[in-house]
Amino acid sequence: MKKFLILALSLVLIGGLLASCAPSQPSPSPTTTSPSPTPTAKKITLGLVLSTLNNPFFVTLRDGAQAEANKLGVTLIVMDSQNDSAKEASNIEDLISRKVDAILVNPTDADAVVPSIKKANDAKIPVFTIDRGANGGVIVSHIASDNVAGGKMAGEYLAKALNGKGKVVELEGIAGTSAARDRGQGFNEVMKNYPDIQIVARQTADFDRAKGLSVFENILTAQPEINGVFAHNDEMVLGAIQAAEAAGRTGIIFVGFDAIDDAIKAVKDGKLAATVQQQPALMGQLGVQTAVDYLNGKTVEKYIPVPLKLITKENAP
Amino acid sequence: MAEEKKITTDEILLEMKGISKSFPGVQALKNVDFVLRRGEIHGLVGENGAGKTTLMRILTGVLPKDSGTIILKGKPVHIENPRHAQLLGISVIHQELSVLPNLTVGQNIMLGREPRSFLPFLVDWKKLYRASLEHLQRLNVDIDPRTPISELSVAQRQMVEIARALSFKADIIVMDEPTSALTEKEIESLFSLMRSLREQGISIIFISHKLEEIFSIVDRVTVLRDGALVGSMPISEVKTEEVVKMMVGRELGEMFPKDSVPQKEVVLSVRNLKRGKELRGVSFDLRRGEILGLAGLVGSGRTFVARAIFGADPLEEGEILIEGKKVHIGSPQEAISLGIGFLPEDRKAQGLFLGLPLSHNIGITGLKRLSLFGVVIFRKLKELALNFVNKLRIRTPNISQLVRNLSGGTQQKVILARWLSLKPRILILDEPTRGIDVGAKAEIHAIMSELAKEGVAILMISSELPEVLGVSDRILVMHEGRIVGEFTREEATQDRIMLCATGGANNG
Amino acid sequence: MISEETLRLRRVNWRIFFRRYGIVISFLLLCLVLSLLSDRFLTWTNILNVLRQSSINGIIAVGMTMVILTAGIDLSVGAILALTCVVTADLLQKGLPVPLAMLTGLALGAALGMFSGLLVSRLHIPPFIATLGLMTVSRGLALTYTQGRPITALPASFDFLGAGSIGPIPMPIIVAGLIFLIGYFILARTNLGFYIYALGDNPMAARLSGISVNKVILFVYALSGFLSALAGMVLTGRLDSAQPTAGYGYEFDAIAAVVVGGTSLAGGEGGLFGTLVGALLIGVLNNGLNLLNVSALWEGVVKGAVIALALLLYRAVK
Repeated sequence: MKKFLILALSLVLIGGLLASCAPSQPSPSPTTTSPSPTPTAKKITLGLVLSTLNNPFFVTLRDGAQAEANKLGVTLIVMDSQNDSAKEASNIEDLISRKVDAILVNPTDADAVVPSIKKANDAKIPVFTIDRGANGGVIVSHIASDNVAGGKMAGEYLAKALNGKGKVVELEGIAGTSAARDRGQGFNEVMKNYPDIQIVARQTADFDRAKGLSVFENILTAQPEINGVFAHNDEMVLGAIQAAEAAGRTGIIFVGFDAIDDAIKAVKDGKLAATVQQQPALMGQLGVQTAVDYLNGKTVEKYIPVPLKLITKENAP
Repeated sequence: MAEEKKITTDEILLEMKGISKSFPGVQALKNVDFVLRRGEIHGLVGENGAGKTTLMRILTGVLPKDSGTIILKGKPVHIENPRHAQLLGISVIHQELSVLPNLTVGQNIMLGREPRSFLPFLVDWKKLYRASLEHLQRLNVDIDPRTPISELSVAQRQMVEIARALSFKADIIVMDEPTSALTEKEIESLFSLMRSLREQGISIIFISHKLEEIFSIVDRVTVLRDGALVGSMPISEVKTEEVVKMMVGRELGEMFPKDSVPQKEVVLSVRNLKRGKELRGVSFDLRRGEILGLAGLVGSGRTFVARAIFGADPLEEGEILIEGKKVHIGSPQEAISLGIGFLPEDRKAQGLFLGLPLSHNIGITGLKRLSLFGVVIFRKLKELALNFVNKLRIRTPNISQLVRNLSGGTQQKVILARWLSLKPRILILDEPTRGIDVGAKAEIHAIMSELAKEGVAILMISSELPEVLGVSDRILVMHEGRIVGEFTREEATQDRIMLCATGGANNG
Repeated sequence: MISEETLRLRRVNWRIFFRRYGIVISFLLLCLVLSLLSDRFLTWTNILNVLRQSSINGIIAVGMTMVILTAGIDLSVGAILALTCVVTADLLQKGLPVPLAMLTGLALGAALGMFSGLLVSRLHIPPFIATLGLMTVSRGLALTYTQGRPITALPASFDFLGAGSIGPIPMPIIVAGLIFLIGYFILARTNLGFYIYALGDNPMAARLSGISVNKVILFVYALSGFLSALAGMVLTGRLDSAQPTAGYGYEFDAIAAVVVGGTSLAGGEGGLFGTLVGALLIGVLNNGLNLLNVSALWEGVVKGAVIALALLLYRAVK
């Protein structure tokens, strides 16, 4: 009886595990573009390895890359690592054995990808990283959103909306992460130029909505007057909006970062003034462009910043 | 041959003089002398708690002595710790074997003294196995030193321990109940090994409860009782009965008031209880108003009888009848609902909630009767606790006192109160007075007597023969998982019970 | 012979007093220091803030206290919270009536807790391992169920639990208060409470005293799962959004509240009064750090140091 119970429970457990691990969509097999309608003299093949295609961000990135590849008439092989560094390693090995001209990789992990990059280096295939960087190997160039510029963009917007004066709160992301550092840096560089804007509180809420709510509740108590809030991501700013509503505090201008669906909705509803949006399509486009430029003998920058876009009520999608 | 043996056995190897040792509240050893000659097998016997183990622990450096001297090979020594004892040539084969099951035989034998290879930190395995093989061959045992210990039988593990002892050039080996887990055949081969060690001039101190074994192997026997030396003589000069008398012979005082109770109808019958080696077919009847004593040595299976009746351990075979009706007891709850109470032998580990108040400790089992829709009625709990505090003379400042802070005898009364509050038909008491002072002991005996008068059937397990004799109406004796003797109050004597309990006679 | 009169006589035992109430003294000291450092600390709104922010941890900590009293531990609370709140939110969005969706969510929480209770009691899997496994699976299921996205815009009547208030008192505080009262009643006044303490004090004696040990274990884990689900609903209402990543690390906050409150991890000792003070102490600390605008880089250090000091202080007095 006991053995049966053990067996039954283990089956349930395994079932649960599988259910939670199994990809909900069949993973796309490598797709190859049809040969371009305007064949160039030298046929270029690029490999694009994405950490996941389960996230709309990367789907858009792929679409942007594909469109650019079609435009330039190069072949693009797209591979999905399903957030698994082992899958990623075999994807890159595949590309190496298929002798692609260049590899664009969006690593699942900055460290785990290094051995694969070194293998590509050995095979003399140039490697480009997209969105997330790598901690080793030879990288021709890194194509990613410019978080510092995004922070500046948010800062400029907030400063203008406040007419250059007022009391501002900054909700920081997890201390020590690059996103929190860069976004904060850009924002504060701008704020220095506005002597009449005072940053009255600078607190971390760990990129978390629930923390954003309670931390902002506390700040609201501590600060009788707040005119503007910049949060390092949308989750925190949405929590803060919730806190302000519950406390009946109005007239605060909120600015977020990332343009997640909830945030775009809040922008449309007028609760959130603005949020900074990354442009994955542009990121994919710039990636392919940079690789082709490099293969055609042009010199490329070590870091290609992808511009960000400010979403406000006027341009909300 | 006889001449030669004579010469060796006269040389005194070890002399312990005037050894005393006390623990808080107990004088464990009183001025004990012990003499061991070279090349002899020396039996050390006595009841549980007579001081055998304490004496050996002092010899092997596990416990410090309070006073007395130890003279080894003519020189006084101060044994600091077990390691030191080992270096002096004194090794122990424990009751619980101390070999490490995941290492190989060779590793166990050479543990701590592994031969090093020419590279630092590395073990020279070839050398290690060759050395351990030599030690094993000296014992004429055929075990591959590369076998992991976990694959060996208990007897083989013992051999490994002995080989390890010899590798320290031991000339004194202490064996504490080495046969308790062995089969007949294994015991035979252990004995022949012991004889061959004797011929090599090694002395063995052999502790056993089983007198047949003592008489079949030892040269001399030393008897301890209540921490004092009773006598030491060549085995050829005594009879089994005399040794038994020496072991138990103490005066029975008027400590155990017992009114004879007329025997009534049978309340509990157990038939052919079986469970592994612990219970090999136990049957008996328990009557209303009777106190049935269950005697026997530690490990004879007494506690397993109690646990089986109480549903604490599953049975392999056998049936239990209560008032003539066959019952199935699968858990303590079922036993309790049938009116059985059980006072376990180790009150702190199995009986008490040391961190909870006295009232909770008394009320916990009968909580359903003290509550309404699962909510405890504190007034009832308090009344109940107060009632028993007064009735059993439980000495406590108040009923919310944590049980941890009470004395041993008081704690025992608390568990008794717990069961009495349920008004049980059958009460099983496992060592009800172990480790408690004389006054409380008499009080508990009086309570038992009172309960029996009220018609409760009591099964009492005790290692203390005077207690068994003084309190019981009838006495059963267990040996190796069987009941080997039954005595009425009038027939029973300590000698007869002890003889049965050590497997010396069968009165069944 | 002891009369009832003498039994009532009880001298104050300072050692026990400090052991039991020392943490209260540490807590009051912390409040005193904060009220000197910030004039905002002792305002009505801020007190409500602290209580409201402590309520979610408090609700979870009630279940955790009972689990720890049986010498167990429940690491799955945060993950169960996430899974039950996304399932409830999803059911609400699919149009299920609010009471029905809430009941489903609470039942799911209790069932998940019961599952680990089953692993612990029947199969004798150590609580740490059993609940760690459940934590991983539940978190994974929450992420899969939602594809990693939050579920937003829930009916106002549901949000009332987290965002509403009765008179001046916010709902989360009322819910947490009720849970503490019920929990206190269970532990101090019912058979079950007696059994929980007895089991934690001595499991072997508990079995031999006829306590259904397995049932008690099943109950405490089921309750812990149920309360995690309830805390999840309060949180979801407060945020008007159910997130699969919610409750991350909540198990540690709850365990901290219980242990800071003086309940022994070895079981059998402690209680909900201590847990209440422990949860409030952690809440006040978080609040104070925000009020004083302590830098994110220093937050961890200050938090750890204050908790250690609070414990040291009352141990020293003891």
